[in-house]
Amino acid sequence: MWTRWNDVDRMFNAMDLLQHRLNRMYGDYGRWPGSAADWNVEQSTPRTNLYDAGDHLTMKIEVPGMLKEDLNLKLQGNYLEVRGTRKSDTPEGYSSHRVERGAASFTRSFTLPSDIDSAKVEAKLTNGLLTLTLPKQEAAKPKQIEIS
Amino acid sequence: MNKRAEVATREESSLERNHDTPRIAPLVDIYENNDEILLHVDMPGVDKKDIAVNIDNGKLFLSGIRRIESIGSAQWEEFGDLEYMRTFSVPQTIDSAKVNAELKDGVLRLHLPKSEAAKPRQIEIKSD
Repeated sequence: MWTRWNDVDRMFNAMDLLQHRLNRMYGDYGRWPGSAADWNVEQSTPRTNLYDAGDHLTMKIEVPGMLKEDLNLKLQGNYLEVRGTRKSDTPEGYSSHRVERGAASFTRSFTLPSDIDSAKVEAKLTNGLLTLTLPKQEAAKPKQIEIS
Repeated sequence: MNKRAEVATREESSLERNHDTPRIAPLVDIYENNDEILLHVDMPGVDKKDIAVNIDNGKLFLSGIRRIESIGSAQWEEFGDLEYMRTFSVPQTIDSAKVNAELKDGVLRLHLPKSEAAKPRQIEIKSD
């Protein structure tokens, strides 16, 4: 019966529970440098979020351990390319017991839903999270239409 | 008795479910030298005040809660609010009073100094 949505919900809950149990059981098993910590699809590029606030877009990118010198942004019309390199931060004179966070580089490109005014783009890096504020071009901005 | 009744009822009443923030194990590097054990933990987007580090009974608990503020409607979302959580066994030789942590660029660096008694000592060979 379609009205019983919480049956479906409960079923998914059970699956989540199973996944959690497995994660706990195999938490340390088969961990390889650079492999994802979870039973999720492995990702070699950083995760991103994109929000549309009407007159501008906001993109958030996870870049832990990267400095602003390590990141490179390129924008053309509605095409955005993000490049980054993470250097290894192994300290001198230490022996390593476990290395999951190794050095890596990535390139990720996006086709944004509207053209961007590239002169007004702002990028901010806080706590390993890159936030891009991408103002839309005039033509792409939403307009209020008066009813006469 | 009351509890059993609760278990038996269907969760019909809870139409609105609040989803718990997912708990994810962060990626960790562990280094050691003669003086300390050093942990590097990836916690992108976590604020300093939302990180908790506890050492209790030979266990080290790490927790960091991330809240993502969204502006406008989401076009796509590959990450969101979560709790980074991981537990380690630490040797009793760690001087828990001197543990210190720093957060920079989304990476938590945790210094666990070894107590004096546990540090390796060079033994001199005396000649007569």
